[in-house]
Amino acid sequence: MPDSYFEEEEFESKFNGKVFSRIVQLTAPHKKWVIGFMITIAVVAGIDAITTYLSKLIIDNGIIAGNKQALINILIMYATVILVQSGSVFLFIYLAGILGERIRYDLRKKMFNHLQALSLNYYSKTPVGWIMARVTSDSEKVSDLVTWGFVDSMWGLMSILTSMIFMFIINWKLTLIVIAILPILLVIAIQFQRSILASYREVRKTNSKIVGAYNENITGVRVIKALGRERENLSEFSVLSNKMYHSAFRAAWVSALFLPTVQFISALAVAAVVWFGGNQAQIGGMSAGGIQAFVAYITFMMWPIQDIARVFAEMQQAIASAERMFSLIDSQPQITDRPHAIDPGTIKGDIIFDHVTFRYEEDEKPVLSDFSLHVKRGETIALVGPTGGGKSTIVNLLCRFYEPQTGRIYIGGRDYTNLSLQAIQSRIGVVLQTPHLFSGTITENLRYGRLDATDDEIVEATKTIGAYDFIMRFEKGFETQVGEGGNLLSVGQKQLLSLARAVLAQPEVFVMDEATSSVDTLTEALIQKGMQHLLDTTTSFVIAHRLSTIKKANRILVIEDGRIAEMGTHGELLRLQGKYHQLYTRQFRSQLEAAYNPFNQPVTAQE
Amino acid sequence: MIRTSVIDNLDIQTTISKNRFAGIWKMMQGFRLRYLGAVTSLGVSAAAKTYTYLLLRYFVDTYFVAQEAGIGLPYIALGFVGLALIEGGFAFLSTVLANQTAEGITRRLRNYLYDHIQHLTFTYHSNTKTGELIERSTSDVDALRRFFSDQAISIGRILLLFVINFITLLNLNAKLALISIIVIPFVLAVSIYLFKKVTKAYESYQEQEAVLSTTLQENLSGVRVVKAFSRQFYEIEKFEKDNWEKFVRGKKLLLMHSLFWPLSDILCGIQILAGYLIGAIMAINGEISVGTYIAYTGLVVYIIYPLRNLGRVIVQTSTGLVSYGRVMDIIKEDREPLDLGDYQPDGSLKGKFEFQDVTFEYEPGDHTLENINFKVEPGQVIALLGSTGSGKSTLINLLPRFYEYTSGRILLDGIELNRYPRKYLRQQIGIVEQEPFLFSRTIRENITYGVGRDVEDKEVEQAARAAAIHDVILKFQDGYQTLVGERGVTLSGGQKQRVTIARTILKNPRILILDDSTSSVDTETEVEIREALQNLMKDRTTFIIAHRIQSVANADLILVMDKGRIIQSGVHADLIQKEGVYKQIFNIQTRIEDELEKELASA
Repeated sequence: MPDSYFEEEEFESKFNGKVFSRIVQLTAPHKKWVIGFMITIAVVAGIDAITTYLSKLIIDNGIIAGNKQALINILIMYATVILVQSGSVFLFIYLAGILGERIRYDLRKKMFNHLQALSLNYYSKTPVGWIMARVTSDSEKVSDLVTWGFVDSMWGLMSILTSMIFMFIINWKLTLIVIAILPILLVIAIQFQRSILASYREVRKTNSKIVGAYNENITGVRVIKALGRERENLSEFSVLSNKMYHSAFRAAWVSALFLPTVQFISALAVAAVVWFGGNQAQIGGMSAGGIQAFVAYITFMMWPIQDIARVFAEMQQAIASAERMFSLIDSQPQITDRPHAIDPGTIKGDIIFDHVTFRYEEDEKPVLSDFSLHVKRGETIALVGPTGGGKSTIVNLLCRFYEPQTGRIYIGGRDYTNLSLQAIQSRIGVVLQTPHLFSGTITENLRYGRLDATDDEIVEATKTIGAYDFIMRFEKGFETQVGEGGNLLSVGQKQLLSLARAVLAQPEVFVMDEATSSVDTLTEALIQKGMQHLLDTTTSFVIAHRLSTIKKANRILVIEDGRIAEMGTHGELLRLQGKYHQLYTRQFRSQLEAAYNPFNQPVTAQE
Repeated sequence: MIRTSVIDNLDIQTTISKNRFAGIWKMMQGFRLRYLGAVTSLGVSAAAKTYTYLLLRYFVDTYFVAQEAGIGLPYIALGFVGLALIEGGFAFLSTVLANQTAEGITRRLRNYLYDHIQHLTFTYHSNTKTGELIERSTSDVDALRRFFSDQAISIGRILLLFVINFITLLNLNAKLALISIIVIPFVLAVSIYLFKKVTKAYESYQEQEAVLSTTLQENLSGVRVVKAFSRQFYEIEKFEKDNWEKFVRGKKLLLMHSLFWPLSDILCGIQILAGYLIGAIMAINGEISVGTYIAYTGLVVYIIYPLRNLGRVIVQTSTGLVSYGRVMDIIKEDREPLDLGDYQPDGSLKGKFEFQDVTFEYEPGDHTLENINFKVEPGQVIALLGSTGSGKSTLINLLPRFYEYTSGRILLDGIELNRYPRKYLRQQIGIVEQEPFLFSRTIRENITYGVGRDVEDKEVEQAARAAAIHDVILKFQDGYQTLVGERGVTLSGGQKQRVTIARTILKNPRILILDDSTSSVDTETEVEIREALQNLMKDRTTFIIAHRIQSVANADLILVMDKGRIIQSGVHADLIQKEGVYKQIFNIQTRIEDELEKELASA
């Protein structure tokens, strides 16, 4: 299953005053907009009630009174309020909508900027999909609450309030009947909205499973065919699609039942009004227009109630969204600049690991224990040893992606926690085993290494590591798009580009973590030649299984179980006849085998 | 629930028609009556609404204008409640029926599509992008569902409301009725015009959302690179650019919306007011009663305002139709007939192969495989050596009939290969791939995947032991119940391969295909995998796609391939005597040992 697929669960939280007020705070910088749309939506709701009253006046004062002049006056008034209302409609959609977009924008920005500050430990325990969901969908839910949620509630409240006022003016006794059904309506509406939301949540959950099932069916089709599992797959899937049928159907009928129920209850109110109003007609307590207005007000009343109920139900989701979003914003970066951290302008000098102990999680056993190492300026250190032995951890600590729990690391004579992160990281060039490129052209990706690099320097860097030829073989050369994450290139090509990117950065300390594992031996030799100058002039750490890379190092460290098992030059270690000797002979065989095998094609020539 | 067979087993491929609407109509087989019921219910519901206003008219005219007692007040009140019940009840019924139809058709379509996809040919799958296929099977199917559940029914409702209320108005007063629809063409035009724009603005908004997601995703997954170059500020600026662009496009989209609603409000308002004016004057002149006027003011709303939505629905429907086309593009592809074949032995195969002058071409004239001739006895091991693109994978893919050879003959146990049903063949062949694919299920489910019978725990463990993965599995907290994938553990390449080996042991095939790549595996596990494979190969005809000479030395037949042809064949002992590629490779070994010695001595 591809990593990008992440099944997101939905949550709901109890109302939480603190979170709610923090959500409302989000609108603080845009107070004027909020006031603007609140006023305009109130105007819209008020005018709805007014027009109904004007309709009554048309009947009573115009038609029944037989007064054409009054009729025309009322209609002119009607036209005027409709124009005012249309203007208000424009304004509230515009204001609330754009504010909504603005708050989404603010939230995304805030989260993204915060994410840049968070340390690697946060990323190693938080799936990318989870973070993506916070930045994309949670920000929308929260901003919807403070814009459309507010709009709907305001509209609902205003509509009910103004309708009430006019009903009181027409006939206060009948109004009491209507008031009596309001709470019932509201309770029913809220119950309904809750179960509607819950059933749609179920639908979305099942739907994401269906997407997952299709995903596996398509990506795993080779295996499915080879194992002849089509029939079981279909029967498994039809359980899922059945579930989808039932939950979707349930969601549909529950929401479809809502309106008729509300309509029925309001019809009861209409019936009561008709009954009493009809009786009052005889004694003159109620006019024809009055009846018409009442019926209109009652039928109209169910919409605001429905909206208020929906906002109320959705608020619980929005609060859950906000809680998770705030948890992201509130999480503290593990590694930050100390107060008075300095940037000395250069970090050239010796690098010292002084009795360093490090564990990724507190309850785990240390990955490095009491590790000491003194690297002289300009030295090249090769790190070898089994996976999980601690090689990559040394690199992580050196780059200050993590900091040691005990012990110290000195760079250029200073405890590196006294330096700013920028000072260290901008001067260490790191090339990782899994190369990561960004969407864009090759040039753009290379320039990532040094933003002010000239085109000539970029070309130079690619020539240094032998990537120039394959780039020029592309039709568009350096302007070739690399695709999302660089997926239009082969792994070997990506490694070469990320190497060139690091070279371009002109680092003072250079780190290669299995950086050339996927390029062929010939290219590797080219890289070696081109990189020699860089390796000679910088202090370098190289994790590699390529012997040629290791052999040239000033010192080789065999790292095992978080300790230095063997240390020395290539010759010294071979004579030791120990672990390095073993490792070397094994690698030697398999590398020559690969090199001489006529069937092995150079990776960079492919694709 | 009783379901007829057409509901379950409609062959959707047969519904393809030149005309999209005809195709959709055919696709509705088994649900047409229900859908018709949904539309009829809508009509009943709309009529009840109309009658409510007619009752109001009667009530006002009797009690307020004439001031006389007609039907008793309680009955009128009851009438209102009754009509509301009918209106609501039938609206509900309509939604229920429409959704049964929509969800039913969609379920059938989902199942069909799922099955269809797993039956499509290898050629189709290798030519189609995964994302595209997933998109069509999910989003487009959902768009089609909305077409049935919302859009088509909305169009029906709007038209029915219009027709019923317009006829009623005509009966109340023809002049008034005709005056009331003047604005309708304008409302429709504005709504279609603006909603086309809204849709366009929405699409551009969505596009930017995708861009923003990519930027975010790349930043998150490349966090080490960002930190390594301390490019946080650069990234913030990049995100800011895309984020701002989304805000700008969102503003455009909202501007469309905020223009559409007030504009159409004004248009509808003009119409309503004109109707009020004329109706009121007619009422004053005594041409119509007060009750009629009141009924008119109620009914006219249901003629005009729903039509304002028609534009939106029509625009949305057109996207639904596009989705229909995109789904049908998949469905019109032909399936691979799994059961087709006239020869199927009762028991297992023996595993004797004979290739006679076999050729294969993906495209006419591309010479992917040419003149392939060789014989294999049951239980033998055949090793294929060659570079990428030499044709060895293609040759292997012919065995389970993933591809059909273009000419020549392949005899399996003396019978032409394409006479065996694919399904049977694939049961008899086990494949261990170079980069195994595991499903996001538990390890146990992955091991028993495709075995096609219930397997006891003991048997699963035995297979896992033979595949040298048992101990690894036990180290996980949930043991065999550990989930594989993003929600569970990530297995290394070698571990994945051993899980597939265990799976193949359980499947117990007569013929085995091994993609022998241990390049990415540690030396310790390499030995374990080698042992596991040895266990597996016993008594089975085995084809090995080899990358190294060590793994082919014991083979009964070695085929060295290049550019779709066999350039050398024979056993190890013979091949090393002959001049050729094989001898070259073999000689490398001795050369390596020499060089190693020199190397160590020089250190």
